Amino acid sequence: MLDPVYIRASRAVTAQDTFAANSLPAVFSDAINNTLSYLQPAYQDYFTIMQLRRMSRITRIGMVAAIECLRDAKLTHPQAIITGTGKGSLSDTEKFIHNIMEFNEGTLNPTPFIQSTYNALNGMIGLHHDSSSYNTTYVHRGFSLEHAILDAMMHLHDGEAENALVGSFEEITGEHFVIKEKMGYWKKENISRTELLQADTPGSIAGEGTFFFVLQKQPEDAMVRLNGMKLLFEPQEHQVREQAQALLNANGLSWNDLDVVLLGNNGDNRFDHYYSNFASQLSDETHQLAFKHICGEFDTASGFALWLTAHLVKEQEFSNDLLLKKGSRMRLRNVLIYNNYYGSHHALYLLQECQ
Amino acid sequence: MCKVYVTGMGVVSALGLGKEENRSALLARKSGIGHAKYLNSSLVDKLPVAEVPFNTTAMLPLLHRQENLQQSRLVVLAALAIQEALCDRLGPSGKPSPLTGFINATTVGGMGDVEDVYDSLINPGIRDNLGAGDALDCAAGTEQLARHFGFTQFVSTISTACSSSANAIMYGARLIRHGIIDRAICGGVDTLTRFTLNGFNSLKNIDKQPCRPFDANRNGLNLGEGAAYLVLESEKSINITGATPLAILSGYCNFNEAFHPTAPSPEGEGAYHAMKGAIEAAGLETGSISWINAHGTATINNDEAEGAALLRLFGKEMPAFSSTKSFTGHTLAAAGAIEAVFSIMSIRHGEIYPVLHFNDPMPGLDLVPVTEVKTGIPVNHVLSNSFGFGGNNASLLFSKYA
Repeated sequence: MLDPVYIRASRAVTAQDTFAANSLPAVFSDAINNTLSYLQPAYQDYFTIMQLRRMSRITRIGMVAAIECLRDAKLTHPQAIITGTGKGSLSDTEKFIHNIMEFNEGTLNPTPFIQSTYNALNGMIGLHHDSSSYNTTYVHRGFSLEHAILDAMMHLHDGEAENALVGSFEEITGEHFVIKEKMGYWKKENISRTELLQADTPGSIAGEGTFFFVLQKQPEDAMVRLNGMKLLFEPQEHQVREQAQALLNANGLSWNDLDVVLLGNNGDNRFDHYYSNFASQLSDETHQLAFKHICGEFDTASGFALWLTAHLVKEQEFSNDLLLKKGSRMRLRNVLIYNNYYGSHHALYLLQECQ
Repeated sequence: MCKVYVTGMGVVSALGLGKEENRSALLARKSGIGHAKYLNSSLVDKLPVAEVPFNTTAMLPLLHRQENLQQSRLVVLAALAIQEALCDRLGPSGKPSPLTGFINATTVGGMGDVEDVYDSLINPGIRDNLGAGDALDCAAGTEQLARHFGFTQFVSTISTACSSSANAIMYGARLIRHGIIDRAICGGVDTLTRFTLNGFNSLKNIDKQPCRPFDANRNGLNLGEGAAYLVLESEKSINITGATPLAILSGYCNFNEAFHPTAPSPEGEGAYHAMKGAIEAAGLETGSISWINAHGTATINNDEAEGAALLRLFGKEMPAFSSTKSFTGHTLAAAGAIEAVFSIMSIRHGEIYPVLHFNDPMPGLDLVPVTEVKTGIPVNHVLSNSFGFGGNNASLLFSKYA
């Protein structure tokens, strides 16, 4: 079993005002046309107009999230940079596809091609922080962030690194919304985020989010401890429960020890049963929280749950807007995240308060 | 920490389907670089590529169970290579199978299937080709293959440009060493697409002639397509499968160089540390290396940087080195795995494959690659390099299984 790791710093850029104050705001923006789009950070605080001109949307967001996360951790050169993204820079990919058509395979600007490369952001972060180190990018839908974390855990376990910058980045574009809309990813009816979780119809609302974390081997100044994770691809429903049980047992815990559970409910009634059956294991004392009605659905939305967990454990409080079912625990010590991405990629995270 | 054994391998490239066809072409110095027949691009007459010499429907019947797979070139190339890799290691039947992971790598996934229908995909009124919408990400092919071969217990996809499958092999090995899985099918696949051909063309690093790795007059790379996969196993897994190791994955290192988004530093800092790290991880000295299957894309920048790194690391005791990209083209995410297969073939058969079209050494770098096939020689340790955009450098070290 891999040693636990500690989350030292945690940053989130989402549709909500989560970035500037690094906290969940009191008021939330609603989805427009079933999409929760980024509230973009003040890029000019970080880059010149000339620099920004060459950076696409997700590159800018990823850079500022990584910069602030490292600053929070008082770290200048991370010893590993590992990211996950389901779709990478969709804007650049689309732009280059269109350029090829428009200019009939003539002389093209290479910038969108370069930035469409899934590991382009990793390289840029390394460049910006003059960090020559282990560096890789996982691109497996609802497991993208999880593989990045698992890889970092192995590095920290082996002592190959003392710390690692781990993150995920995702964007939605108008074109990609249409592609996924036709495949049934989004609700047919226009819906407010406040009604999402009670909708009882197929589909969800599109979201986007970029999350960065500094993971470290030692507990000093950490926000929360990540004890372990489980990944299950297209499992039977009972396997999710069994693996959660195994994860708890391996850490000397039982269901009843959970103070908070974050569930990835996305309002899609084709997958609600995974969450309701999972929740039936839980004690009435355990708080049940949801998060996708705040950030929307995307491949790496579990990053938002991880960011929320780091903050709620550190600050020992959470927003009532997250509540699915209120429990009674005052002390928020043991947290389990259960997310699935359209029923295919199921991820479990067990986190604990440090000490 | 346990050792990681290679117990199976399969390959598809412009040189042919399977290890034997690939090896024969390498020994006959027969390159796969030419003009594309199947790629739908107006550049095919201008820019040579290394295309797998069959159309997708002709290859489909070669798969044992084709009915579950979509007619995607990406998936078919990968499935052929995986099928071959698994045939190598069919152990005694009736035993429980070890916990197996599938770690795939690709740079553009199903782009080849998507780019021809993109206009209709983004048109809300057209509902054809809906499935292609999923192929726009890298994991779509991985998941089809995982279901087809029954590797659904643990799946992952990596995309780090030209070093993707080297990183997939590394991730598989690390997962095995940590006991998270017992066996891993690791490798990568990419098909020729208009997207990548125009991408590299926009960077002005495609040669209009067959590429000339490490030559003074080299003028860029040729793109290729293909797939290759290794079966990696722990000793525990081998006890279950009864597989015989073909080689040992004795070392590996990933070292990202913070220098430039698409070009290496002229001193090859990243390449140097990746190679050095892999040799040190294996507990070997530089003098033990029998052959270096270099990244050797034949771009101006890569070969100069890699050459400088080779000289810095090996000095006057330069092992035999060459680049098989002069045969297969640069197959992007598949390159690391294809070259891993060639490295292991070299160890198994005691032979070294040459570079083609080499005439003059690069100015200021006293480096002459192997230009003729060498056979009947002991090959004990082979270093295989894969370097990519973003400064991503990965080196794998394969050693003879005694």
